[in-house]
Amino acid sequence: MTDTNTLLALFKDVDPAAEAVERLRSMGVRDNQVDIISGIPLLETALGRPKKHTNVARLALGGAGAGFLLGLFLAYGTPYLFTVHVGGQPVYPIPPGIILVFEMAMLGLMGTAFLGVFLESNFPAYHPLKYIPEVSDGKIAVLFECPALEQEKFVQAMQALGAESVGTVEARQL
Amino acid sequence: MLATVKALFRPAAHSEEHEDPAEHLLLDARPRGEMNDMVMDSMHATSWKFWTVTMFLILTVLVCLVTAWGYMIAEGLGVAGVNQPEYWGIFLVNTVFWIGISHAGTFVSALLRVLKAEFRRPFTRAAELMTTFGLIQAGLSIFMHLGRVWLVYWMVPYPNERGLWPDFHSPLMWDFLAISTYLLASTMYLFLPLIPDLAMARDHSTGWRKIFYRILSMGFRGSESEWTHLKTAMNIFAFAILPVMFSVHTIVAWDFAMAIRPGWSSTIFGPYFVVGALHSGLAAVTMVLFIISRTMKNMKYFIRPEHFDGLGKLMLMITMTWGYFFFNDYIVEWYGGDTIARTLQKFLETGPLAWMFFLMLICNFAIPILTLWNKKLRRTPWVMFVIGLIINIGMWLERYIIIPGSLSINRMPFTWRIYFPRVEVFLTIGTFALFLLLYMLASRLIPLVPVWEVQEGQLAHSLSKFGKTRVATKAEIE
Amino acid sequence: MTSSIFQTSAEVEGKWGMLIDQDLCMGCQACVTACAMENNLSFVGEADAGYGRGMAWIRTERFWNGTYPNISTGYQPMLCQQCGHAPCEPVCPVFASVHSESEQTNVQVYNRCIGTRYCANNCPYQVREFNWLDFPRPVPLNNQFNPDVTVRRRGVMEKCTFCIQRIRRVEDLAHSENRDVLDGEVQPACAQACPASAIVFGRIDDPNSQVSRLAHNNRGYIMLEELGTLPRVTYLKGGSGHAGNS
Repeated sequence: MTDTNTLLALFKDVDPAAEAVERLRSMGVRDNQVDIISGIPLLETALGRPKKHTNVARLALGGAGAGFLLGLFLAYGTPYLFTVHVGGQPVYPIPPGIILVFEMAMLGLMGTAFLGVFLESNFPAYHPLKYIPEVSDGKIAVLFECPALEQEKFVQAMQALGAESVGTVEARQL
Repeated sequence: MLATVKALFRPAAHSEEHEDPAEHLLLDARPRGEMNDMVMDSMHATSWKFWTVTMFLILTVLVCLVTAWGYMIAEGLGVAGVNQPEYWGIFLVNTVFWIGISHAGTFVSALLRVLKAEFRRPFTRAAELMTTFGLIQAGLSIFMHLGRVWLVYWMVPYPNERGLWPDFHSPLMWDFLAISTYLLASTMYLFLPLIPDLAMARDHSTGWRKIFYRILSMGFRGSESEWTHLKTAMNIFAFAILPVMFSVHTIVAWDFAMAIRPGWSSTIFGPYFVVGALHSGLAAVTMVLFIISRTMKNMKYFIRPEHFDGLGKLMLMITMTWGYFFFNDYIVEWYGGDTIARTLQKFLETGPLAWMFFLMLICNFAIPILTLWNKKLRRTPWVMFVIGLIINIGMWLERYIIIPGSLSINRMPFTWRIYFPRVEVFLTIGTFALFLLLYMLASRLIPLVPVWEVQEGQLAHSLSKFGKTRVATKAEIE
Repeated sequence: MTSSIFQTSAEVEGKWGMLIDQDLCMGCQACVTACAMENNLSFVGEADAGYGRGMAWIRTERFWNGTYPNISTGYQPMLCQQCGHAPCEPVCPVFASVHSESEQTNVQVYNRCIGTRYCANNCPYQVREFNWLDFPRPVPLNNQFNPDVTVRRRGVMEKCTFCIQRIRRVEDLAHSENRDVLDGEVQPACAQACPASAIVFGRIDDPNSQVSRLAHNNRGYIMLEELGTLPRVTYLKGGSGHAGNS
């Protein structure tokens, strides 16, 4: 097992970054060894990257179901647990139940979508992470793993494509 | 001044929009680093004027809100102006008003995002902050009107040793759940697109600010997976929060429509209130944007006449919709001939509140309809601020007419009475002061402009040749 | 009698009911006074009463009929109608306004009330009173509290209970004596005090009780009948045969 280093190449624009990704692929770096860090969301296809998979939508759907059940409990479970007669209205009313079920389902949907972002991204992440602050100024950082012995080759390849800076990156406290 | 007014009414040249592409924010791209610095700068720049206003607001909140409310809790609601038959007075007016204001944020942020209206980009966060702070004022106003506010937690459905649950037959319980859902949802929707900007602020700050932003940004870096999760959630929110927004104000309207009072028991109240909320909300957004762009450093770059123009067109459309719903409600009762409903209408039009009724129509309908069709007026920020203020005054009066105004007339003529507010005046001033105070503090802690969204938009827009002219084109890079 | 698919027949028919003869009423307000004494009502003072803060559970409404010089006064005692289909009940968020199964009246649970006042807004008869302030009792009336009735503090709704404490007392007495409650044995304070005997109280599910027999009079009408609230109070008003509000 050869030693791998993590390098970070900083680019100013989408085009050189996309070319860099392609060059890395041709130099034998696998897709899952490359990560792109950017200040705005970039289309994966713009950089020639495979689409990233997210579970947020599925979690949100599950949350909507949980909210649906909570709404049903509030509307029909609570009057069952403690029955009180009011105003000639049915004890288990349908129209108010619809309102409650809707609201709780939406709350579940959005609440779990929100928490899903945290869960999927491992937020909050206060431990040291591989990062470069120039990214928030609009630069695109290509993070990749390369064999330690061939580091020079990769650095030169990135610089040839117009990288503003190339170097090893250590995890740092953000 | 005269020259300005004259200039406002000169017919606009058609080619004006294409004359200066740099007028458009999304075509006037600057390096991201520069925009970041502008936003950070506007947060840090606090002049003595800022602190004076803040101190004044804190004082107003302490006197008008905290002290007056404490006095009311200690003495009872008798120090307010509510009585029989106006059991609900200005507290409810304020509640409905603030919930209406809060709809603006969601409308601007979610609906415009769903419709891909690009002009929303610089002010979604300013509007979303209005939502959260407006809902806080609405919550305070509804707590104020309770007779035993220290027991308000009984409205929360929690298991207790008595086995008691709240009554879900009651529109107030639907209200409670709906407003809680909306508050949580809009705060989450405010926070999600804020994370990348907090990360940017973290990278550009030192000292206590850096610690603050580091904690809040939770280690966001901008990696592919992080953006994917974030964008998926934001899309879900944008679509999901719209029905919640519509349902919340409909449910608030049902507090009145479910009652069997004349003037309240109207089937059109649901959509009527939603449109009314959008009306006052958009007007409030316009006011806030004017204040931000005139008082905060560098904001003139982000908030431009084109944004007031876009909002103005929406406001015109909503004005017409509001007029439609108001007339629908009015003519059905006018024509139907139900004695008590007609008595109420006559009371509102010719009684002691008649000035309020007609002022409401002038402010809500006449003035916007007569001014917002004019492009020059729409593109003049101070004019839009004034129109927004007029609309908000009109909408507050509309809720006054509906709540304490309509409650004066009921089926028992022996109990008819006029409502005179007492301590509510102080408490109203207090909620406005608290809203402004929260907003001012937030403007110094939270980057008001979502810079990453602005850059995203600027990357997507470019000028291209179309015949003899150059037009803006938008690339679908999202 | 209108029926509803959501209600039991007992709830539709009712149990305890009242009859008020407006032709006998002369507006002396003895009922108002007696009710205030019986139920520990607060004294709000002239200014607050004039501004609509009065606590009277029963009020005598006075209407002028005709034009000068042919004016007559009509009196309308108005109290909680204990509706079978009460609009004040479903709107309370905390179940403080509920239907009593044993008396078939509407009961206000003071301890549960958080003071949203939705019930008061929804009452078409406007008979619900709210404790706006804690009013001090003028001396020596601070010594005159009915021990059978609680004292309400500021922030809760209250209203006529058909003197439920008297109903319960008589029922307990009858039960201990192993007999049924006699017709006319339960007298709410207002009925007891009326010098004109204009208020009659009893079991409306018993066709032989005085209140049931009198209610079938052709002068009888239900207040705001079109709303379908199923009130337990019948009004008698005769002469030119006009029904509803005067």
